[in-house]
Amino acid sequence: MLSPRADAKLLVIATTTDLSDLVHRIGGDQTVTFAVAKGTQDPHHIEAKPSFMVRFHKADLVVSQGLELEWAWLEGLTKGARNPRILRGTTGFLELGPELNPLEISKGKVSRAEGDVHPNGNPHFHLDPIRMGQAGQILAKRLGELDPEHQDLFDSRANSYKKELEDKTQDWKKRIKKTGIQEIVTHHKTLTYFCNRFEIKCQLQLEPKPGIPPTASHLLEVIAQMKGRQIKLVLIENYFSSDFAEKLKAQVPQAQVKRVPVSVGGESKISNQIDLYEKLVQVFEEASL
Amino acid sequence: MTLFLILFAQASFAQANSITSPNVSANALFLYQHSNLNDKDLSTTRNGVDLREAEIAFYADVDPYTQLKMILALRPQYEVSGGSVEQSFILEPEELYADTRQIPGLTLKLGKFLAAFGKHNELHTHAFPFIDAPLANTYLLGDEGLNDVGFSAAYLIPTNWYNEITLQFLRGEGENTQFNSAKPGDGVGLVHWKNLVDLSDSLTAELGGSYAEGQNSLKGKTTLTGADLTFKYRPVVGGKYHSAIFAGEYLHRQLEQPGHEDEIGYGWNVWGQYQFAERWAAKSRYDHFSASGGHSTNSSALTTGKTNKYAASIVFNATEFSSYQVEYSYSHFPKNSFDESEDKKIYFQANFTIGAHPTHRY
Repeated sequence: MLSPRADAKLLVIATTTDLSDLVHRIGGDQTVTFAVAKGTQDPHHIEAKPSFMVRFHKADLVVSQGLELEWAWLEGLTKGARNPRILRGTTGFLELGPELNPLEISKGKVSRAEGDVHPNGNPHFHLDPIRMGQAGQILAKRLGELDPEHQDLFDSRANSYKKELEDKTQDWKKRIKKTGIQEIVTHHKTLTYFCNRFEIKCQLQLEPKPGIPPTASHLLEVIAQMKGRQIKLVLIENYFSSDFAEKLKAQVPQAQVKRVPVSVGGESKISNQIDLYEKLVQVFEEASL
Repeated sequence: MTLFLILFAQASFAQANSITSPNVSANALFLYQHSNLNDKDLSTTRNGVDLREAEIAFYADVDPYTQLKMILALRPQYEVSGGSVEQSFILEPEELYADTRQIPGLTLKLGKFLAAFGKHNELHTHAFPFIDAPLANTYLLGDEGLNDVGFSAAYLIPTNWYNEITLQFLRGEGENTQFNSAKPGDGVGLVHWKNLVDLSDSLTAELGGSYAEGQNSLKGKTTLTGADLTFKYRPVVGGKYHSAIFAGEYLHRQLEQPGHEDEIGYGWNVWGQYQFAERWAAKSRYDHFSASGGHSTNSSALTTGKTNKYAASIVFNATEFSSYQVEYSYSHFPKNSFDESEDKKIYFQANFTIGAHPTHRY
């Protein structure tokens, strides 16, 4: 186990901006954090730049969403960093997804014929405020193992953040319920946890299969379903092209198609996780006016 | 072949248990090509469709200290006998090495591997940006590149940018004729320096330098020198749909031929790639090679003269696991034994990967 450096802060690398915000909330002044994937980037497809390895080389802890979200690039970065403290299986590597009761765990045998599936569950748990509260507590425990002197401080921040998110979730739930929107369409299954938490159906995606760009025939099918099921809101994660939004707007004029941030930093004003949830709730409210 | 089938079957059977089975992946390259040369020279490349190469990779942690990686390559080969051509397949280890994971700042590697000489030499065939390797890599390092058994130490120098120095000692035998000294113990010493800096969140610049030296079969010394420069641009906003690469590499080889003047060969290439849609990219490359001083005492002497090659390519990446590439190339070279000095080639290549998710090299 690492001993804390009295004169230095823990350097924590987060794979996404959502997790770096969580580190900032829980680790506070005792940590310095860096996010690999920016809020405007699709976290499935980040390039393993050697310059990231330099940061990983110095890191005390790597925090990942896991559930194969970072499969294509994280292994290359941790190996290239030549830092034994952050290898998978050590105290310096924390994968949060599996600890948070993942949704959409595949049943039976899976194949890539089903697209870019995540057999161990949907990895986009960061859009559920309740799970992010729980993630804060898990993170606090791990930070405490690396810096026992500040364990109580980390726990206290995590408990307080969890309470804040739970309270706000009650409010967000009421506001979304008030909009009357019960079902939406998304581009990818990024909003699954958000929908699950706020009791919205989001089973229709523009992608015919996970990771496969929309096709004309699938879009026609989605449009038919939208008309049949009276779905009037389409949320497109804003790192996807606006072309699909334009096509839908033309075909289903009564529906509102909005490109939304789905990570901290996804828009310039989204500087933390609460801003992000607030923005998504506001999108629902604006769509119902 | 039997060994491979047993390993593959066991690994596939036991995917659920990562302790008792390694990660396994397989890649297949299918290539259609048509060239004005291939109708005459039947022994190397042939017009028509073929399995270009298949690779099977196994890798896993051995224990807390080391990892083992084995990549087997299956390739066709042709034998011309009278008027007929017979095809057979060879299965050989492309790479097979153990490397360390517990030494801060340092990776030690032991086994057979692609040497860290320049940028292109470390790429496997399915990761080549163009169908063919650059002329200098093919002529100076061999069809399979500089790939040998040896020992490697790669140290990450503690600076604010990526700054890595790699020292390698290779056996100097095998496929690389420039280093195949008959005297046991004559190896190849190699040093590679790699630097990469972020010019912004969207743009990186990479600069590398390489040098290798060893004894050749003519009882002389062979020296290799290389330099590479790569710029990669992928915007933080919209980078899923647009990106660009501009790269160049230079290789030089000086081969002593005792009693004769040295053979000199050098080449350089520059290429660019522009990704113009989520799954589409266009590429173009200019490639030059020049040689002089090759002597008949050397069975693999370079042909004196200059070769220029131009290539243009369109790639469709259906997913991370399959891609399709159409390429046209034109090259002009010193007249060969068939009295030809031009090669016009059209290619179509399909690239498929199954199994464990590959780690993408930057």
